[in-house]
Amino acid sequence: MLNKPYSNRAWLGVLPVVLVVAFSAVVPLITVVNYSVQDILDFNSRFFVGLEWYQQTLNDPRFIDAFLRQLGFSASVLLLEIPLGILVAKGIPRQSRMTPFLLVFLAVPLLIPWNVVGTIWQIFARADIGLLGVTLNAAGFAYNYTAEPLHAWLTLLAMDVWHWTSLVALLSFAGLTSIPQPYYQAAELDGASRWQIFRHVELPRLRGVLIIAVLLRLMDSFMIYTEPFVLTGGGPGNTTTFLSQHLATMAVGQFDLGPAAAFSVIYFLFILLFCWLFYTSVMVRDETP
Amino acid sequence: MAEIQLVDVSFSYPGAAGATLEQLSLQVADGQAHALLGASGAGKTTLLNLLSGLLSPDQGRILFDGQDVSRLPGRERHVAQVFQFPVLYESMSVRANLQFPLTNARVDVDVARQRIDHVSAELGIESLLERRAGQLGLFEKQLVAVAKALVRPDVALVLLDEPLTAVEPKIKWQLRQVLRKAQADLGVTMIYVTHDQTEALTFADQVSILTAQGILQSGTPQQIYEAPAHEFVGHFVGSPGMNFVPAALFDQPQAERLGFRPEWAALVSPSAAALQGAVSRVRAQGSQGGEHVGLTTIVTQHGEVHVHGPLRFAVGHEVGIQVGRYVLFRAQQQIGTGRWHAE
Repeated sequence: MLNKPYSNRAWLGVLPVVLVVAFSAVVPLITVVNYSVQDILDFNSRFFVGLEWYQQTLNDPRFIDAFLRQLGFSASVLLLEIPLGILVAKGIPRQSRMTPFLLVFLAVPLLIPWNVVGTIWQIFARADIGLLGVTLNAAGFAYNYTAEPLHAWLTLLAMDVWHWTSLVALLSFAGLTSIPQPYYQAAELDGASRWQIFRHVELPRLRGVLIIAVLLRLMDSFMIYTEPFVLTGGGPGNTTTFLSQHLATMAVGQFDLGPAAAFSVIYFLFILLFCWLFYTSVMVRDETP
Repeated sequence: MAEIQLVDVSFSYPGAAGATLEQLSLQVADGQAHALLGASGAGKTTLLNLLSGLLSPDQGRILFDGQDVSRLPGRERHVAQVFQFPVLYESMSVRANLQFPLTNARVDVDVARQRIDHVSAELGIESLLERRAGQLGLFEKQLVAVAKALVRPDVALVLLDEPLTAVEPKIKWQLRQVLRKAQADLGVTMIYVTHDQTEALTFADQVSILTAQGILQSGTPQQIYEAPAHEFVGHFVGSPGMNFVPAALFDQPQAERLGFRPEWAALVSPSAAALQGAVSRVRAQGSQGGEHVGLTTIVTQHGEVHVHGPLRFAVGHEVGIQVGRYVLFRAQQQIGTGRWHAE
């Protein structure tokens, strides 16, 4: 190893990426951090306030409510979409002439722009003219998502499940098709039940794709903005106001740049924290024998 | 443990033009290690799948101890299989892997523990029992896969589908020894499928040669090597295979062709032998008693002939080939063996 050539020129190759990341992420982020410690009245008068905005945000009951709602939403979405996605993936035939069509059909919701998804469901669920709303009311349920918080929640969850379960299903399907046939054959000869085959053959081999699926859905659902904004606008009341929407109201609606910036930093750190917690917990489990 | 019989088994894949297996019969005695040797495309995998219950024969019967199991699924036949690459429940410990088929077969807990201890001692994997299967090396995994196949006390038949393919050559020999010993100690009926003749001939009590035409010969490794029932067997087994020349050269009117192994012949001066040719290649393979030995290839008017023995002639030399032992064939079938004088 003594003769290993030592050169720092490789760093030059990394430079373009560093520049792109700097201007697209690091500089704006630092700007936000800068805002979060100042009180900005106008362009010429600003005061350094230290961590005041952070304290204020963390003690703000509206922030805490929005945060708890956000946690509830993300948890529900994961609990619904992951099992459902696996179930759908199990239902897709492996080698059939229908398989390609099914896969394309499944991918359709993923291709629709988010505000369009919101609009589709906004109309679809309306109690006066929407297919879903009218049908439910005709069936005897007094369904109205613009007035009932529970209905608004269920509609939001249904919309997210409709929009994103396909992603989990497609990832899981790719994972399932990569399992070599002998694993199934061996399990059959071992007298394994269908549940055991799923639990001991399929699930361990889906682990990689499921980690990706959970991470993607966790981050995405935690940052969800467009769809609830279009569908419920955060209402009725504040019952479906999630973190991003609360933030938008503060930053764009009320122009409270300092508190909004502190909020953003906290928000960002929470997403990072959750992803890190999840990822390290599964990776640590991997290393224990 | 069971005696395995295949009676006139035929199978063709849906949509395929011809039958993959036709009227195939095979007998494997209880507790025997039986090797199925065949080139690719001979239907080895199909035959395995018929035995394991993944496929059912179109015609014919598969009997385990005289009982027809042709239509039974694999789990009811008590068959275990070892695959080309190690197939384990990788998230479980090795012990849990071995326990899994026992639990499903409702084997008593104490019996199961004894059985696991016994089999893992046999294969030398006691130290791996508490480790997670996914963390083992390839060789260890395949050992565990073998243990999992052997662990069930009621296992009727263990199928091995080229189990040494994924293992590196150095360790192949070791695993084969372990496998052979475990088979003999546990008295399990084993069918070992391979395209590697060394593996087949060194592993098995009985070897069957499978080709697209069916099973050409079943016999002990010695029978297969010394008295091939069909010209193909003579040609396929051995490295290089048997030499074939017209039987008329040696005054054997009842036969069409005469076959001899490279080491059954000796090189002499051209006038002293019925078969002559020019040396075209010489490959040294070591020395014996101070003399170089190896393989000499001679071009005769009846094709190339390989002779194994002392290397006394250089390339280009005219030599005679004196045949000691021989096998006679008519219409590719063996009709007799014999020898003229000491080799």
